[in-house]
Amino acid sequence: MRFKPSKLTLFISLVLLGFIFLLTPQNITSRLNFAFIGIFRFFLNVGSSAVYYQQSENSKVSPFFVPRHEYDKLWVAYTNLQSQIGEQKKQIEELGKVRMTEPDPATGLVLAKIVNRRKQEFIINKGTADGLANGQYVLGDNAVIGCITQAQADISSVRLITSSACKLAVKISAPDADVYFNGTMAGDDKNGAKIPNVPKKYDIKEGYYVYAAAAPGFLQSPRILGRVLKCTVDQSNPVLWEIDIAPAYNFDNLTDVAVIVLKTGIN
Amino acid sequence: MKWLRFILLLLFVAVLQSGTVMNIFALTARHIKPNIFLLLLVYFAINCDSFDAIITSFAVGFAADLAGAVMGPHIISYGLVGVAVAYVRNIILLKKTNQQAAAIFAAGIFVELIAVLLTGLKASGLAKMDGMEIFAVAAYSAILWFMLKLPITAAGKWTGAGIFHFGARQMGR
Repeated sequence: MRFKPSKLTLFISLVLLGFIFLLTPQNITSRLNFAFIGIFRFFLNVGSSAVYYQQSENSKVSPFFVPRHEYDKLWVAYTNLQSQIGEQKKQIEELGKVRMTEPDPATGLVLAKIVNRRKQEFIINKGTADGLANGQYVLGDNAVIGCITQAQADISSVRLITSSACKLAVKISAPDADVYFNGTMAGDDKNGAKIPNVPKKYDIKEGYYVYAAAAPGFLQSPRILGRVLKCTVDQSNPVLWEIDIAPAYNFDNLTDVAVIVLKTGIN
Repeated sequence: MKWLRFILLLLFVAVLQSGTVMNIFALTARHIKPNIFLLLLVYFAINCDSFDAIITSFAVGFAADLAGAVMGPHIISYGLVGVAVAYVRNIILLKKTNQQAAAIFAAGIFVELIAVLLTGLKASGLAKMDGMEIFAVAAYSAILWFMLKLPITAAGKWTGAGIFHFGARQMGR
């Protein structure tokens, strides 16, 4: 005899099943999401590199113009070099007093492909087996684009800097005063990010570059992250700035990323 | 219902919805994309008997969660709203395309409102949708129904929904 539950029993059972999924910790249920991405990786990523190649083709139209993608790449490389020069100037000053230690040889980059794009999140095809861990910085063409939030054996999720869940220590470069202002940045869940609670006494202007601050074991020197889009006075506290940040890079153009990892087994 | 075909259809839509191909349809800088799961939810809720409508609604929600970032919120929200649409169908037939589009719009708003609340319980930082975005996605999906009604009806019939055999007793009607 075939068992067929009543509609009410079926409904309650399925609601309960939904709540079981809801109450199961995210690091367990995310395995299902990653398994889905792992199985259908090829189909999910169909067309993702089309934009990039389409733009590269357009660049052949005139030798006097470069595509936006190329321009962003050069701009990011230029600003990173500027930051490194600043750091090296400081080091030279310090060298007069103390002999500097060698740069940490244990840090390296792990290249990964983007296998799926979600809202404020990328899924990449590298995981803990390649040395990835939660909190590591992720670069897209040398600019910081986010950090690792869920690392599994061979797949990880990258929370983008435009997500409110991604909070990073940043430095705002003021080239006219030759100083850096510190702050903590969080995404606005749209296309940008915000740095709240910056004292208004700091003379911050639109267009200033924003760098991810160096973090021991994660980032050796500041890396470009974006630029100041708008400075507005905080409505709730008029002595503070609320700074809007535009990311350095258009995430839509990215097909590969690099994760800064601490290599093990290096003496 | 031919459940194997239904599962294949759900997998296809899950891949389509979370794949980069859907970016072709994205509007504005906020990447507003239509939600194909909503169209399936309303189609199956209208065209299946109440028993099958309960299963299909929760199954569509499961697929939506699988294609998303958090498991759980959409299973519950799609289940509740799908069952509600199936019961509304007993009062209003929802045979006209514009009535169905209105049902998709209303379902889209309720589904995402419930899902956002439940997502906040599990992982507050993940995939936040504001009111404007919920409204835009629901409206976009409802408008798209006028264009996608034929292919979705064909896919639905392939899974055995919306086909009533002469003399067969419809459960719960």
